[in-house]
Amino acid sequence: MRVAVFVTCMNNMLYPRTGVAVVTVLERLGVSVDYVENQTCCGQMHLNAGYRREGLVLARRTLDAFEHADAVVVPSGSCTSTMRHLWGDVARDEDDTAVSSRLRDFAPRVYEFSEFLVDRLGVVNVGARFPHTVAYHPTCHSLRHLRVGDRPTQLLRAVEGLTLLEIERPDSCCGFGGVFAVKNSEVSAAMGLDKIEEFRRSSAEYLCASDNSCLTHLRTLSERHGPSVPTVHLAEILATQEIR
Amino acid sequence: MSRTFSDATPFPEGARVALANPQLRRNLRAATTTIREKRNLRVGEMERWEDLRLAAEAIKGYSINHLDDLLAAFEDNLTRAGGHVHWARDAAEARRVVQELVRATGTSDVVKIKSMTSAEIDLNGALDEIGVRAYETDLAELIVQLGDDLPSHIVVPAIHRNRDEVRDIFLTHMGEWGRPAPADLSNRPSDLAAAARAHLREKFLRARVAVSGANFLIADTGAVAIVESEGNGRMCLTLPDTLITVAGIDKIIPSFEDLDVLFQVLPRSATGERMNPYNSVWTGVTPGDGPQEFHVVLLDNGRSRARRDRVGRAALRCIRCAACLNVCPVYERVGGHAYGSVYPGPIGAVLTPQLDHVANDDVADSLPFASTLCGACFDACPVRIDIPQLLVHLRGEVVKRGQHPGPERGLMTGAAWLFRSPARVDLLARLGSLGGRFPALSRLRVPGWIGRWSVDRTLPLPVEGSFAAWWRRSGRPVVSTATGSEPPRETREHLDARRAVLDALAGPSATTYEVIPRAYRDLPTLTAEQRRARFVERLEDYHARVHLCDESHLEEAIREALDGRSSRRVVVPSTSLAEWIPEEYDVLIDRDTSTEELDAVDAVLTTATVAIAETGTIVLTAAPDEGRRALTLIPDHHVVVVRESHVVDQVPDAISRLDPTRPQTWFSGPSATSDIELSRVDGVHGPRQLDVVVVLDSPLDVKDLGSEFS
Repeated sequence: MRVAVFVTCMNNMLYPRTGVAVVTVLERLGVSVDYVENQTCCGQMHLNAGYRREGLVLARRTLDAFEHADAVVVPSGSCTSTMRHLWGDVARDEDDTAVSSRLRDFAPRVYEFSEFLVDRLGVVNVGARFPHTVAYHPTCHSLRHLRVGDRPTQLLRAVEGLTLLEIERPDSCCGFGGVFAVKNSEVSAAMGLDKIEEFRRSSAEYLCASDNSCLTHLRTLSERHGPSVPTVHLAEILATQEIR
Repeated sequence: MSRTFSDATPFPEGARVALANPQLRRNLRAATTTIREKRNLRVGEMERWEDLRLAAEAIKGYSINHLDDLLAAFEDNLTRAGGHVHWARDAAEARRVVQELVRATGTSDVVKIKSMTSAEIDLNGALDEIGVRAYETDLAELIVQLGDDLPSHIVVPAIHRNRDEVRDIFLTHMGEWGRPAPADLSNRPSDLAAAARAHLREKFLRARVAVSGANFLIADTGAVAIVESEGNGRMCLTLPDTLITVAGIDKIIPSFEDLDVLFQVLPRSATGERMNPYNSVWTGVTPGDGPQEFHVVLLDNGRSRARRDRVGRAALRCIRCAACLNVCPVYERVGGHAYGSVYPGPIGAVLTPQLDHVANDDVADSLPFASTLCGACFDACPVRIDIPQLLVHLRGEVVKRGQHPGPERGLMTGAAWLFRSPARVDLLARLGSLGGRFPALSRLRVPGWIGRWSVDRTLPLPVEGSFAAWWRRSGRPVVSTATGSEPPRETREHLDARRAVLDALAGPSATTYEVIPRAYRDLPTLTAEQRRARFVERLEDYHARVHLCDESHLEEAIREALDGRSSRRVVVPSTSLAEWIPEEYDVLIDRDTSTEELDAVDAVLTTATVAIAETGTIVLTAAPDEGRRALTLIPDHHVVVVRESHVVDQVPDAISRLDPTRPQTWFSGPSATSDIELSRVDGVHGPRQLDVVVVLDSPLDVKDLGSEFS
């Protein structure tokens, strides 16, 4: 099986360590990983903001790059959801039957990182060790658009030394929402600050999620308003084998 | 003159105003948390909730697909039953129709049931134009009207007010509209509801004309269904001479049978009740019972255009339960006023832009962006409207019309250019990571549109170079496009053929909803004991008093019910029922008894047609021993005798036993309101006390029932 990693534009530019962690975990589990150099962005920001034509250009590029992979692993719930659902919705809006046709074969081969580990590889314990307290934010796209359920927390619970702490109102949105954070920045900030407060009350050391976009919003908010919240992507915890 | 949203500002500005009000945020947080928990509790006890949602989606989806035929059938059937149908292309036409109908009655005031459609067309303003005063009778609408305020929620329009604010509004303004509030009014929801009852009672008893909306228009019988809690709806639907119902054409459903789904999903989604206190279903005019002039105004106002949008039309399935508002994290922070429309929240954000002039254009264009697309609304929606999908679709329409901020266009064009080339992305990441060596840069506040991000957040800067660079450094191979395991030639041919056939089949296919999935009806039948126990439990949940007896002890049970509330003067619908009442009581047999006389009796005694164990609901159909609808509405104490053989398990069992053309009153407990901080108060306009005498099929065993009658 050839597995291609779509690292996503945000991780490529801002969080290469998340991409490295994905590769580390997959290789540890014996999966050989392809890196497609032509990858950039799935078009989520454009498509969600209503810029269908611009977004579809990026969608087609990404489709060209990954169409022949047996499986595409994406360390982002929202990008996975874009590829699996949003591309098809917008292709229909724009009557792009070619994209719709290609998606029929392609969409089922796109996996959010935790889905790939649990469903495709059938692994829950990936051999990580992370002796810290962690609160998990399930992110809306993973939770409600992809329905990944408890796969991420199954993976976290199997990490040696890790204590998973409950966060209040776990399924409420962090307020990021892509362009929402600019167009409605005050509401977005109000939601994020509530989420940060809920995280603080959990007394966990780290805030973990499967999507660096939500984590970026929460971290940068906390940096402005202080004190800073330590955020970490799920893949980074799973890649860690911290020594006692 | 009633206030309207016509001069509202776009959502971001409205949201800023709301966010600056800490009291509002506390009120909203408390209210939405309460209602979410109630809804989750009542939905959680339904084994077949997802099947009900699928059926509700299909019923409403079918209805929207067949609007033309169903509306024509509704008109035929209602006309045959003695009602009048009027059609209105837009708000102005609907206002004119209602103005003419009201003018013809010669009245100077009308009583109103809470109606979103009425607010959509500013009907109160239209009535004001012709010198007619409209009295809002729903408690929350009353709070809004007295406070010269705007509604902020579809079901609970005064959700933004707390009990102290409500008391102040009542003390200051009630006197301007009629009977003033008592000077020593407390802030207890029960006292506030009592003040509203006293204030409105004289209006109900005097009113000659009422205006309502509708929850459902039933095509195959020409009936209208209205779901409410307080009894103000029943007052308006039964006491006046003339009733004018204004309803959007999207309210149509094919058949009375479909209420077996909608009466289950609506109350649980809207108020977190198993069943709301009152449902009224009636068609046309019933001689001697209720208004003798009945008009329905069917309003289009953009709905037919929305229906032509193959994505946007899903919004027309909405049954106005407001579950999406209650779960929305954005609504929770800013409340309804920020949306600048009578339809706020997630559903408002997809409905308002598709209707005509419900909001000004700037507001309408801002609404599809008033969401993080978190999807909580879709999960809560009982008719499964994929609101995030509609929001994205409508955003695309706004951008297509060029109605977006200039800097946004710049950002999008720039980003699209950047992401067309991995080399450019790499270069930017490299340049960015140079900047990342100066961490202070991330604390900069950037001016302009995009800089709004940096008001509350630092700037995320690249610090480590790109992932692409790391991969190349690691010496792993790079491929230009992904490769899969090459399938053998015959498989490839199979795949090519598969794609060709599937492509040939693809095309514009609307979801047809021709078959309504009825799996929700597959529930195990209760045993007689289970049914009896559940019925009693559910009645008592709603604070009804239950008296079990057998046929030979009916009189004693009735005596206990009457004495328990000190009721002496009792009205009954028929001579046969008068015989059930012990001699010591003062019995009045209803023969055109005036409203004032009914108001003066202590209690009313009736039987019932059917009762539902699951929801503790009792249904009257104006049969001879049940009386006309006003009879069971005005006296403050209702004693109802239910035969055990008339108790069914579930809502669908009741629907199948009812004659769809009879005027129906469904009641679940005494009248109630949750309009003040969503705290339930028993007793508003309908009977405040309910006693249910259940006559068991077989003689009672004393030992089994303890203190009950033997």
